[in-house]
Amino acid sequence: MKVSNNWLKEFVAIPEGPQQLATRFTNLGLAVDALESHADDSLFDLDVATNRPDCLSHFGVAREVAAAYGLPLKPPKFELAESEKRASDVFSISISDPELCARYCGRYIAGVKIGASPDWLRTRLESIGVRSINNVADVTNYVMLELGQPLHAFDADTVSGQQIIVRRAELDEKITTLDGVERQLNPSMLVIADASRAVAVAGVMGGGETEISPSTTNVLLESANFDPLSIRKTSRALGLLSEASYRFERGADVEMAKYACDRAAALIQAVAGGTIYRDVIDVYPGARTSVTATLRRHRIKAFLGAPVDDAIVETIFERLALKAKSTRDGWSVEVPSHRIDITREEDLLEEIARHYGFDKFPATLPRWSGYGSGLPLESEERILRNRLSAVGYSEVVTMAFSDEPAERKFRPSVEPVRFLNPMADDEAILRTSLLPSMLRTIQWNLNRGIRDMQLYEIGKTYAQHGERRFLLLAATGALREKSLHESERGFGFFDLKGDVEDILDTFGFELSVNGDSVPEYYHPGRTVRDGDRVVLGELHPDYADLYKFKHRVYVAEIDVELLLESKGGRPLRTIPKFPSIRRDLSLLLNKGTRYGDVERAVRAVRIPELSRVQPFDRLDAGSFPESKYALAISLMYQSAERTLTDDEVDNFTKAILDSLKQRLDAELRQ
Amino acid sequence: MSSNDGIGRLRAIEQQFDAERVSVVDQRSLEDTRTRYLSRKSGLLTLELQSLGKLPKEQRAEFGRVANEVKVKIEASLETLQSTIDHREKQASLEREALDVTLPGNRRRVGHRHPLTVVRKEIEDIFIHMGYTVEDGPEVESAYYNFDALNIPISHPARDPRDTFYIADNLLLRTHTSPVQVRTMEKMQPPVRIICPGRVYRRDAFDPTHSPMFHQVECLIVDEGITFADLKGTLERFHKQFFGEKTKTRLRPSFFPFVEPGAEVDVSCVFCDGSGCRVCKGTGWIEVMGAGMVHPNLYGFVNYDAQKYTGFAFGGGIERYTMLKYNINDLQLFFQNDMRFLEQFQ
Repeated sequence: MKVSNNWLKEFVAIPEGPQQLATRFTNLGLAVDALESHADDSLFDLDVATNRPDCLSHFGVAREVAAAYGLPLKPPKFELAESEKRASDVFSISISDPELCARYCGRYIAGVKIGASPDWLRTRLESIGVRSINNVADVTNYVMLELGQPLHAFDADTVSGQQIIVRRAELDEKITTLDGVERQLNPSMLVIADASRAVAVAGVMGGGETEISPSTTNVLLESANFDPLSIRKTSRALGLLSEASYRFERGADVEMAKYACDRAAALIQAVAGGTIYRDVIDVYPGARTSVTATLRRHRIKAFLGAPVDDAIVETIFERLALKAKSTRDGWSVEVPSHRIDITREEDLLEEIARHYGFDKFPATLPRWSGYGSGLPLESEERILRNRLSAVGYSEVVTMAFSDEPAERKFRPSVEPVRFLNPMADDEAILRTSLLPSMLRTIQWNLNRGIRDMQLYEIGKTYAQHGERRFLLLAATGALREKSLHESERGFGFFDLKGDVEDILDTFGFELSVNGDSVPEYYHPGRTVRDGDRVVLGELHPDYADLYKFKHRVYVAEIDVELLLESKGGRPLRTIPKFPSIRRDLSLLLNKGTRYGDVERAVRAVRIPELSRVQPFDRLDAGSFPESKYALAISLMYQSAERTLTDDEVDNFTKAILDSLKQRLDAELRQ
Repeated sequence: MSSNDGIGRLRAIEQQFDAERVSVVDQRSLEDTRTRYLSRKSGLLTLELQSLGKLPKEQRAEFGRVANEVKVKIEASLETLQSTIDHREKQASLEREALDVTLPGNRRRVGHRHPLTVVRKEIEDIFIHMGYTVEDGPEVESAYYNFDALNIPISHPARDPRDTFYIADNLLLRTHTSPVQVRTMEKMQPPVRIICPGRVYRRDAFDPTHSPMFHQVECLIVDEGITFADLKGTLERFHKQFFGEKTKTRLRPSFFPFVEPGAEVDVSCVFCDGSGCRVCKGTGWIEVMGAGMVHPNLYGFVNYDAQKYTGFAFGGGIERYTMLKYNINDLQLFFQNDMRFLEQFQ
């Protein structure tokens, strides 16, 4: 809200310049978004909190300023000259829904002359960005900006039946508002009506047909109080925000309605002439019950952390027009009608903290015994991230928004979480997998000339049945760039598999590959799957095409919760006291026999002393039949109890060879 | 043959050796010299020693003494020459092995944690050391936990579909991590001392300071005797730990429905130390958080005794803290994941 320094000075003799006043505003909780200095005035753009509608006017802001400086507050001066004729003889007002309209004050002013506003009025409005319309409309705006009470002036001769009825709109009732737009109303909305139709959307905007025009001579002035929630809903439903609705939906001061009505009537007479009919027609079915809040003295120290002298407390109350009476252990405070935010002890404590000054209270640390801790799997997650960094993967954080077509390609059967109000079509759901956003990240980097990447994300995926965290690894390009030291090496399937094995090993898991089918976005011949725990492999070329990848992209999806929940690690092994013995076998195998089958055949012999099996060479063609290939494996034997003899080891190896012959038709290569 | 002749020959050998030793420069010439004088079959000195028996008995002792003296001297001299040559050869071999050490090192690729993770962990650690427990909760949240139980009235603008992502009437993407506070309070009676980091969502278009998805960390403490001064002290301590000991913290009155009194929290500008610069718009202060004493209405929702307990809460954006710590001026960098950005973090 724009606030004029000059206007404030009409109500309080501000002893400091605008810069210092801005600091005061800040310390009072009236945030200053901007301070404009002009030759003859300074303008503050104040961000008034939603709970302080009493500060949505110059007089209201002046009240805070006066309290802050401890200076008297001078209300606007005006004299009301009423005629003998009674307003109630020419007009009647009734409220049919008092829940939504607590008070309606009306005045009748006859014989005005509509014209341009005098200079002082026009310049004052324009100085704070309000367009001047005509003398009567300008007065209603002026008094609203002065006192915070929204007002409306009708051309009384266009109001039929000499009556105002505050009621809910009829079904299918329509009104053309001041902005020239025809509005469809419904019974949830409150309207101001005459004998035959709605003439204003209550508290939001007046109607065009009863607007003040150059030919208007008689004015009906409205100063009312409407239910905040109802105004808010109506204003939202109509998409119509006005200065009036802004104030009503935050809560206007019900006791201000009559005073503002008098003030505006006097001003209209001053700038447009006319006769003010005697008495405000004041319909006030929702009379305010007084609000009292109590403050116990000991609560000041207990809640704010330091005591505040009684004299200071009482001065603050007095300056804020809070009528305090001493009680046995503190004060009982009668709250003025403009402070709708104060109802209880904490509200009074806040006023004391604010006006005494936040900086007056010490800075202490809470007393405490106990201990702090991270999330349950935090230390495991740290280990995981360290390992990922060590093997070369950099972390990405991607947006959780995605679009259904992109997600469906990877999770065709998952029902996604959809928004009722997405910001864009391609951000209409929450992601069901980490893949599309990871692939977009790779694309982003490729488009910027970055070719070699190893990335990971630990993030949530979302489905209608819940949220779950996953780990996704992705890599493309070169693992090692060509340099003086070594030649280039592209990242390959076995690099990814090794990394995944490393990570699983960190948590005591072994990658166990079985015949489970792999998702169709993977290369069918370059992918392995370990149940629901891990899938890893090369992205299917068709899917790589979708993202215009020219190089192979490798991805691994890992159920990170399962990994972390294992709590990780194997028990330590003791260092063997006895030497190990190695035997190498050069095997001829039928083409199509997989290494996994070889290892299974070796393990099937169940030799406890066999500590490791490792393939180390492979020949696909040579001095052997075309239907065969050669595979060299090393067998490592180790006993914890004794040194193994050559004879023993030879017997083990023979048994293994027999198993290989029998199960896989393997031969020893000569 | 007289012993004098014999001793004269020994001295001649000695002189000859002295003259020759200067030409011993490598292992080969050393071996040649050793052979010439000391070889068992034909060494000059060996041959002389073999003639010992031919001398008259009374001359043998003197001859033997001189012969031994010359032998010891030659041997010692050869040994010295040997070690000199060894040293020289080692030096030569080291020189041959020299590398162009000015070439760049052969670096292995190491990964980098995302800056938001780095800062989140750092914030978590500061609070864990102050005795707080980290809590989390769902991102798809009910309107009850996100709004109602936080004293946010049905008419509050934050509930507007223009500001909040809705999934159904009463189901939404949480707009702050405060629902975790309510859920935690529901589970336990005070003392409660937690921080809640996590993702939150607001319908803001992407720009250098806004994103529809960002990360927050909130803090809540409820216990007997918690005061506004404790709130000030805790914020002050946190900011000193995070930004450095000279950092100042300021609270300005403000309003949030779930706290009272409410405050905006500023820190002294990390770029100009509070003297005023472009970033802090000359004010010397940068707004970082919202804070306040827990509104007593909240205790009603979780069955806490509002007469017995008080508490404070505060919350801020992890992106904002990261931007201030690393002088990053565009929030979008966090979600673009450009490698050239990411690889600058550890």
